[in-house]
Amino acid sequence: MGQTDKDVKIVNTGCCHDCGGRCVLKAHVKNGQVIRIESDTGEDPQIRACMRGRAYRQRLYSPDRLQTPLKRIGEKGEGKFKPISWEEALTEIAAKMHQVKATHGNASILMVASGGNQGMLHGALPVGAMLQGFGGFTRSWGIASYEGAMYASMATYGTIRTGNSREDLLNSKLVIMWGWNPAVTIWDPGTSLMMSRIREKGIRIVAIDPRYSDSAATFADQWIPIRPGTDSAMLIAMAYVILDEELQDQAFIDLHTVGIDKYKDYLFGKEDGVHKTPQWAETITGVSADVIATLAREYAGSSPAALIAGWSPARASFGEQYSRAANVLTAITGNVGVNGGYASGFMRAYSSRETNYKRVIAGKDSKKARSTGNPVEDGAPPRQYSLHKLFGGTNPNSARIHNAKVFDAILRGKEGGYPADIKMAYIVASNCLNQHPNTRRGAEALKSLDFMVVHEQFMTPTAKFADIVLPVNTFMERNDIAPPWLGSPYYIYLNKAVDSLHESKSDLDICRELSKKLDIPPGMFQFDEDDILQGITASRDDIPDYEAMKRDGVVKIKLKEPIVSFKEQIEDPENNAFPTLSGKIEIYCEHLAEMNDPKVPPIPKYMPHEESHDGPLSKTYPLQLITSHDKKRAHSTWHNVPWCQDIEPHSVWLNSLDATKRGIIDQGSVDVFNDRGRLRIPAKVTERIMPGVVDIRQGAWYDPDEEGVDHGGCANVLTRDEPSPGGAHPMNSALVQIEPTPDGAGRKK
Amino acid sequence: MTQLGFYFNQTRCIGCHTCAVACKDWHDHQEATINWMQINTIEKGVFPHLFLAFIAVPCYHCEDPSCMAVCPADAISKRAADGIVIVDPDKCLGREGCEKTPCLTACRSSSPQFGLAPNAKMQKCDFCLDRLEEGKQPICVEACPMFALEIDSMENLQQKYGKQQAAEGFRYSKKIRPAALFTPKPEVFS
Repeated sequence: MGQTDKDVKIVNTGCCHDCGGRCVLKAHVKNGQVIRIESDTGEDPQIRACMRGRAYRQRLYSPDRLQTPLKRIGEKGEGKFKPISWEEALTEIAAKMHQVKATHGNASILMVASGGNQGMLHGALPVGAMLQGFGGFTRSWGIASYEGAMYASMATYGTIRTGNSREDLLNSKLVIMWGWNPAVTIWDPGTSLMMSRIREKGIRIVAIDPRYSDSAATFADQWIPIRPGTDSAMLIAMAYVILDEELQDQAFIDLHTVGIDKYKDYLFGKEDGVHKTPQWAETITGVSADVIATLAREYAGSSPAALIAGWSPARASFGEQYSRAANVLTAITGNVGVNGGYASGFMRAYSSRETNYKRVIAGKDSKKARSTGNPVEDGAPPRQYSLHKLFGGTNPNSARIHNAKVFDAILRGKEGGYPADIKMAYIVASNCLNQHPNTRRGAEALKSLDFMVVHEQFMTPTAKFADIVLPVNTFMERNDIAPPWLGSPYYIYLNKAVDSLHESKSDLDICRELSKKLDIPPGMFQFDEDDILQGITASRDDIPDYEAMKRDGVVKIKLKEPIVSFKEQIEDPENNAFPTLSGKIEIYCEHLAEMNDPKVPPIPKYMPHEESHDGPLSKTYPLQLITSHDKKRAHSTWHNVPWCQDIEPHSVWLNSLDATKRGIIDQGSVDVFNDRGRLRIPAKVTERIMPGVVDIRQGAWYDPDEEGVDHGGCANVLTRDEPSPGGAHPMNSALVQIEPTPDGAGRKK
Repeated sequence: MTQLGFYFNQTRCIGCHTCAVACKDWHDHQEATINWMQINTIEKGVFPHLFLAFIAVPCYHCEDPSCMAVCPADAISKRAADGIVIVDPDKCLGREGCEKTPCLTACRSSSPQFGLAPNAKMQKCDFCLDRLEEGKQPICVEACPMFALEIDSMENLQQKYGKQQAAEGFRYSKKIRPAALFTPKPEVFS
């Protein structure tokens, strides 16, 4: 049967979970069922889906899809529920919410909303609107993926719009992929294809990564393995070489930056007596001084060159420092605002996410937090360490709780220094137990709540702790619009392909019905899906024709030339300031200096922390854990899809030297543990990871036995829950030990 | 006779498995034992000097297929028009019905496969005959985010890509003459 089958209707939609994509899908629908999926076959550049989008039918039609509202009848976390009607579920939720509000106030209601759904309409938006209408709620801040990179981007450039169009990399003479693995994390569709074209053009590519990643292996001419958490030391030593040998772009520094002298004081020992030489960095990073110095000279000498500083090295304790050091290196070599260069930073290019993407000058005095319309947080002052004088980036409101500390906040409340005593959690598009750090403490926290509601498609480890679970439909069963993940110029219209399965509903419809029982003004809920989506697009001048977008499923915006962030600031500085307090690129950031706290130095520094590779704890736990992304999943989504699962078993990667020392064989069962927890999974013994480092891909579902040993392989059982001052999550800063499974391999019943 | 062949640019492959899953979706292969398109990984070397390559393994539709030669039921044939190797499920004796299932051992690429149903019949990649008939490329080709795959006559492929018939993880056989053409990944260690 070919696709010309007359009974087959092709519905234009797109994949919309939290990978680095956002791709075109064409659902072949016959008799109300999606029978096949194709992707973009249209004009260039095609937005081709990856394996995950291609596997979507097994997610949509999974026998594990939640079918009805569920009420917990077992212990929290046990997973025993009974089906109830929507009327019963919503009535009970509304009654509990009224009760919690009356007894403890709105601040005791916590919303946890993550990236499980990336449409503009469904997911967090309607839940937030509903809770706001109900009198407000406590919310969280700090995005695990990028908070460190975002903070550094704001501190250096005053904006997160620091990226260039991918095709501009063809103008580079050297591309450095630092902790950046687009073969797996996508980084906008077409990025890996562009990296191949760059390689085919003969442009040299260097990869810096503790792992010989798929990207390093496919694109790079040189691979430099580096100890996790030490990237800033290598970048700082590169700056030392460049400035010591006078290879910098002095005219650029003079014209466009502030604070080079303060940085030199640090580099050349005036500040602390330590010269930040390549030899200094070698002992920290494990990268030879020669390799560091050579790369520094090569980067400074290959103008223009693109240093792409991925987010993952910033997903670490003091991760902001790595990202700051990378940004500053791009500036001192004059690689900002020029074709073929790259400013690093947050790296958004085309800014389809912000409706207003005109440049905004930083406010000189903004002691008051911005209004968010949420009564619980309006009027709260900016939180400590926030870059509250700048416009954009993370909302600095001090009434918010950092995502890594949400569990601790639930357990300790105001007495623990948090803004609220949390009694109830409303969780949407989030498998937070699995994806926030320190899972076992998370389980303890979720158990302690008075009431917990979860919107979900599957019985996730998080949903098992809920009092009520509401079944949510997927993007195949509703209309929405997907903006590109980071910085490509397009939108995808997600046309509904099939009716909602079982009794599932959209997040919007759930909130529409629940809001009636909460006696709140209808607000957005008086409008239907289409009205709201039209409203969202009306505020954007890059979607001229809503109906055409809906029909075609995708709007590809033609740019006159590739985006190069800060081109106007560099070409015409008189009339174009950087949106920082100084109006220049801030090597030395005055906003940070005012904080006068060694944890947020005004210049980038290498700062060891409690779980550094050479800290005291490394005697007990000598291996550094990194928790990378998996090609089979987008975080914890797709975990339970057989077509994806079958590709390779979930395992912990370790080098053969570390395996031999411990008597570990490839695919043998091992325990990975530290003081926070223990998990039991197969080992993958490989040369593709440096000795001393182990990798567990994050996102596998937590599955503890009676003794608390996780057999699911959830990496966050082992991760720290202490974020950096700038908000960087410490997922790649955990020390662990590995040993062969003590009791053979069997799982205790 | 035209011989359709499979071109694989190994230097581009990132091992993402999109082609393999697209194949399963298009042909609705729900069983884990059915992988018309397989992705193999080749790892060599010792840290930090490594070499990594992937290879996409469909059926290479050999000019003299070893599976066809050993089939006791003459269920495997080669289409005259395009050289595509197909299996006739009516003739195939089935996994239990066929005493030795010699097609399984004859093929070095593990292209002949059996599902889990009782006496399942042999099945394999058919270059998406249904799509070819509509003038489309096979789903793996259309799916590849790296534009690393192509199906065309061997003549056309050779004109475009040269005559390289070996790649990492694949050895050409003059006996069976697989209809495959590669841009192989040079064995350079990191």
